[in-house]
Amino acid sequence: MRIPEYQTPELRRKNVRLAWILGGLALFFLVTSFPFWTGIFRIVGNQAMQ
Amino acid sequence: MSTTTLTHDEAHHHEAPKGWRRWLFSTNHKDIGTLYLLFALIMLFVGGASAMLIRMELFQPGIQLLDPDLYNNLVTNHALIMIFGAVMPAAAGLANWMIPMMIGAPDMALPRMNNLSFWILPAAATMLLLSFVVPFFPGGGTQINTGWTIYPPLSVQVGMSMDFLIFAIHLLGISSVLASINIIVTLLNMRAPGMKMLKMPMFCWTWLVTAFLLILVVPVLAGGVTMLLFDRHFGTSFFDAAGGGDPVLFQHLFWFFGHPEVYILLLPSIGVLSHVIPAFSRKPLFGYNSMVGAMIAVATIGMVVWAHHQYTIGMSLGAVTYFMIGTILISIPVGLMIFNFIATMWRGAMTFETPMLFAVGIVLMFTFGGLSGVMLAVVPADMQYHDSMFVVAHFHYVLMPGAVFGLFAGVFYWLPKWTGHMYDEKLGKLFFWTNVIGFNITFFPQHFLGLAGMPRRIVDYNVMFTEFNVISSVGAMIFGLSHLLLLYIVIKTIRGGKKAESRAWEGAKGLEWELDSPPAFHTWTVAPQIK
Repeated sequence: MRIPEYQTPELRRKNVRLAWILGGLALFFLVTSFPFWTGIFRIVGNQAMQ
Repeated sequence: MSTTTLTHDEAHHHEAPKGWRRWLFSTNHKDIGTLYLLFALIMLFVGGASAMLIRMELFQPGIQLLDPDLYNNLVTNHALIMIFGAVMPAAAGLANWMIPMMIGAPDMALPRMNNLSFWILPAAATMLLLSFVVPFFPGGGTQINTGWTIYPPLSVQVGMSMDFLIFAIHLLGISSVLASINIIVTLLNMRAPGMKMLKMPMFCWTWLVTAFLLILVVPVLAGGVTMLLFDRHFGTSFFDAAGGGDPVLFQHLFWFFGHPEVYILLLPSIGVLSHVIPAFSRKPLFGYNSMVGAMIAVATIGMVVWAHHQYTIGMSLGAVTYFMIGTILISIPVGLMIFNFIATMWRGAMTFETPMLFAVGIVLMFTFGGLSGVMLAVVPADMQYHDSMFVVAHFHYVLMPGAVFGLFAGVFYWLPKWTGHMYDEKLGKLFFWTNVIGFNITFFPQHFLGLAGMPRRIVDYNVMFTEFNVISSVGAMIFGLSHLLLLYIVIKTIRGGKKAESRAWEGAKGLEWELDSPPAFHTWTVAPQIK
């Protein structure tokens, strides 16, 4: 259903933009709040040294 | 208010679709809310059945029904099913149903993502249940005997069922984060004109804070279990001391998620209480602004005190002191919320319909659970209570009244709005009393068991603990079976009963009560003006 008053292109853009920002925040916490990637880089680095 | 003209095609889509397509492809917040609530109800019974099996086993010392690994697997599954399958989806169901109606929005901001958030859940639940089932098949490996905390190194050694569990957690996490994004966007962008942030209904505020908490902590759990998966299959040593890793790291990652998770479970119910207590006290909520502040304080402090679950790992004196003081500090904003509820009731024209009975029950019993929480926050005391049945009693007193009874209060409060029928008040009260009495008989004796030294997560125990375990198990049967009454009341109310008015409760306030009971398939297609 389209509800003209609410589903303006501006509001839709605003909603999608905020959703991406929040998704980015979640991703940021996933990647940086634990040493997952540092561990991966260390493993790769160690293997490269051998 | 503006007027709108709908084309033929748009008007056609105002009717609810028919058949299975209505549910599978639904983008309607009310239908998705119903799906969430139905899913939560089913999982409540699955998780409840596992709890009753646990209590049957503990009815007497010695091994009665379950072998130790199966018992531990039931403990693991009971927790995960109740937390991720029952409480969180039920709270999300309430959010889906009520938030758009409360803020004067026609639907959630991202309806198709809403559909995706829900339909990931059955897939995740299937994975979760498979993690329980696969060890029964040849080559299925060992049972998950770790408890819901899935600490390594034990969780690295468990069979393939742990992989099912890890993927289930990934799926549950994705579902939660997507739902949270949707709720935040809805609350920030879709409010009716004139509804400023500090005019938002308290249930919406609690969900706004909860959704932010979910976005901040669920990815950390996802990261932790991903590292676990890598340790299990790809030769990494994140949690393996022999390879330079540290098993305690996983504990930190888990509890960085796990402790805020407690507030994720609690806050939506606090939101429900903030509507139920004023409605049945016939007074506005006492201290709206302070409630909002307290909630933000609880969420903020709650995110930085996770290691009080890990006092016994051997942290430095400075670290344990910090975590102890931080944890005890949380009792200040939580106490403020409780005092606000009591002040709302003070000199109100109170009546005690089922939602209000649950609300008063929460204020009393959740406070009791909070007090035993303060005991556990104190480091030297916790060294004694750690891993004992006292902890089991404590967190059930926090989570059953604090989260589940709040959801029950919400279901009884809004059931007339959803179905258009009043529920049977006598049966509602019968459910409340059997539920609350059963709950207290089950969990109150467990405090004494813990203080006397009975460890948690054991299939067998010393005969000196028999009496309290017998009482606890009898209580658990009453408690568990009482939920069949809930099921009966809900089905009876859906099928018929006294017609509910738009404002089903005399003292109820808010935009949702301006709508018909049951509301039309699409509501607030024209935004209400808030003065």
